[in-house]
Amino acid sequence: MIEKIDIERCTSCGICDDVCPADVIHMEAVAVAPEVAGLTRTKLLPVIKFREHCITCFSCEIFCPEQIVDVHPSVKNRPRPW
Amino acid sequence: MAKLDGTLIETDVLVVGAGAGGLIAALSAKRHGRSGTRVTLIDSWMIGRTGHTAFSNAWMIVALPEDDIDGITREIVAGNDGIADQLLVRDTLEQSYARLKDFEAIGMKFHRADDGSYARRPTRGLDLARVMYPEGGGLEYCWRLRLALEAEGVQLIDRIFVTGLLRDSDNRIVGAAGIHSRTGAFHVIKARATIVCTNAMTFRSGFVRDITGTGTLLAYRAGAALRNAEFSYVRPGTPKFYFEGITFAIQEGAHFVNAKGEAFMREYEPDWADEADVPRIARAMALEKDKGNDPLYLDMSVIPEGMREYFIQSKVKWMDYFFRKLGAEARTDMFGKTPYYALNQMTKMGVRTGPDCRADVPGLLAAGLAQAGCANHFAGFHIGLCNGNGWAAGRSAIEDLDRLPPPRLDAAVIQLLHDDTMRPLQPAATAESDRILRDLQAVMFAYDIGILKSADRLQRALREVEALDQQFQELAAPHTHELVRLKETEAMLLAARFILGASLLRTESRLSHFREDHPQRDDANWLVWIDVLPGGKEPEFTRTPVPTPLCPVLTRPVRPTRLNQRLAVAGN
Repeated sequence: MIEKIDIERCTSCGICDDVCPADVIHMEAVAVAPEVAGLTRTKLLPVIKFREHCITCFSCEIFCPEQIVDVHPSVKNRPRPW
Repeated sequence: MAKLDGTLIETDVLVVGAGAGGLIAALSAKRHGRSGTRVTLIDSWMIGRTGHTAFSNAWMIVALPEDDIDGITREIVAGNDGIADQLLVRDTLEQSYARLKDFEAIGMKFHRADDGSYARRPTRGLDLARVMYPEGGGLEYCWRLRLALEAEGVQLIDRIFVTGLLRDSDNRIVGAAGIHSRTGAFHVIKARATIVCTNAMTFRSGFVRDITGTGTLLAYRAGAALRNAEFSYVRPGTPKFYFEGITFAIQEGAHFVNAKGEAFMREYEPDWADEADVPRIARAMALEKDKGNDPLYLDMSVIPEGMREYFIQSKVKWMDYFFRKLGAEARTDMFGKTPYYALNQMTKMGVRTGPDCRADVPGLLAAGLAQAGCANHFAGFHIGLCNGNGWAAGRSAIEDLDRLPPPRLDAAVIQLLHDDTMRPLQPAATAESDRILRDLQAVMFAYDIGILKSADRLQRALREVEALDQQFQELAAPHTHELVRLKETEAMLLAARFILGASLLRTESRLSHFREDHPQRDDANWLVWIDVLPGGKEPEFTRTPVPTPLCPVLTRPVRPTRLNQRLAVAGN
């Protein structure tokens, strides 16, 4: 399941969002430290929106050009049939 | 009635779903069409990067010119216990070499042996057929095909989730309607021919839990019959980790054991033992569970130390990450003791078509696992068949362009589909489809429902699904993400009813369908497909005899040649 994205090093390319097959990651305008007093500053960054629906396919980690996504191999939300 | 607000896209051939079947159908349509023929491929997520095929090894059965195509056809028909479209199987095998050459021409590389010949492996349950695999697995297969389609002028549209097929006043399919799976924007795609290739229903159980095969159910709602609902692809697996390589591990000596350490497969399948095909292993596992002999394990301790890295490293990128990140734990789990279950991967239910892949409704075709060509699963003949029926569907769609008049959209039909799609969207609602899904999984995955079936338990399960369906009617979606999941859950509930209904009707045992109250295979009465026809409020289940134009339905060989050879070497 996806654990974290190192936002500090993110270049906002959006590939993690593009390749996610479960709609878990959304690129959103996130407020960051202001550059000019009085002006709200935002940056398009990946947000882990629906972590509970992650299928642990590692695509976001595999295709991230900056290698800043961490997916843990545990698959907690997979059904146990018996 | 909400105000209609959306986008209209026009095309000649619309392909819905970008797994192997859809990618090949789009390629086939483009190559069979006249210059200027418009082909559009849409997918819920990213074409070439998501879906079942992308996460697979992309193993495919390919018949080389020197292979015995008649023999492979016979063994696949026999391996399906007769429930196969013989002409489609044969056509798929006959053109598989041409597809291989197509794949190489767009840059796919297939593994080769030291002498330069293609590396080919046998597959579980078949004797003559050989599997080939592209370097880079399914991700490379899908990506190369995406690039090829772009280069050949196919229109690719990511993130369109189809919510309904469009019918005109003559009940012909004239395209599809859906929403952008992120923004929720309504889209209509007008098409002269529509090919549904949306995989099969998984109930979110397999390793690719994003696929739910909704297109098959949309085809039913648009008037197409479905078939093979009583059959499923059930494979041994463990929820702890995913291991795509059991077939090869067993060929190296791995075997299933029960809690007492007994290698139980020889008891159930004296000839094939652990090399039996997956439904037989699943049935044996369920019977062992029923006897109280669980937990069950895959004993890989016999794999020599020098071979172990082969299984821990995977050519499939996501699995390679998986094992690498598990580290030492992977070795302990895989070669130690991790309980195994028979996991229900997906139903084999698909749209009823002939070998030309045309559905009952004009303008509609089906390919990939959304087409009901075979009732059994063989490693390599999932994608192998997708290559075949995708090519056939694309060719038929192009033929249809000249036969069918230009489509006309009916504004009232579009308005209805729009309203039906958007109705559950309520910003103040809470997302609850997961609760229904968990309850549905509990019903359908129970070993004594999904694998060991009986009339009383199937009827009980049907009542439980109907009760869940009642609860489902109350649900709403606060956002597009949940709206998509609601639509998928709705399709799963419908699929569950068809699976249980068809399972009740087939009073014999065959392939993955094992009725404890009717344990014998009964060719005299049941060499038939069970078709689910859209009738009035309730589905109508009918029986269609399976034609045998190429070969009679054979029983399987007593023991595969290669297993005989190995046992002979071992002195057995």
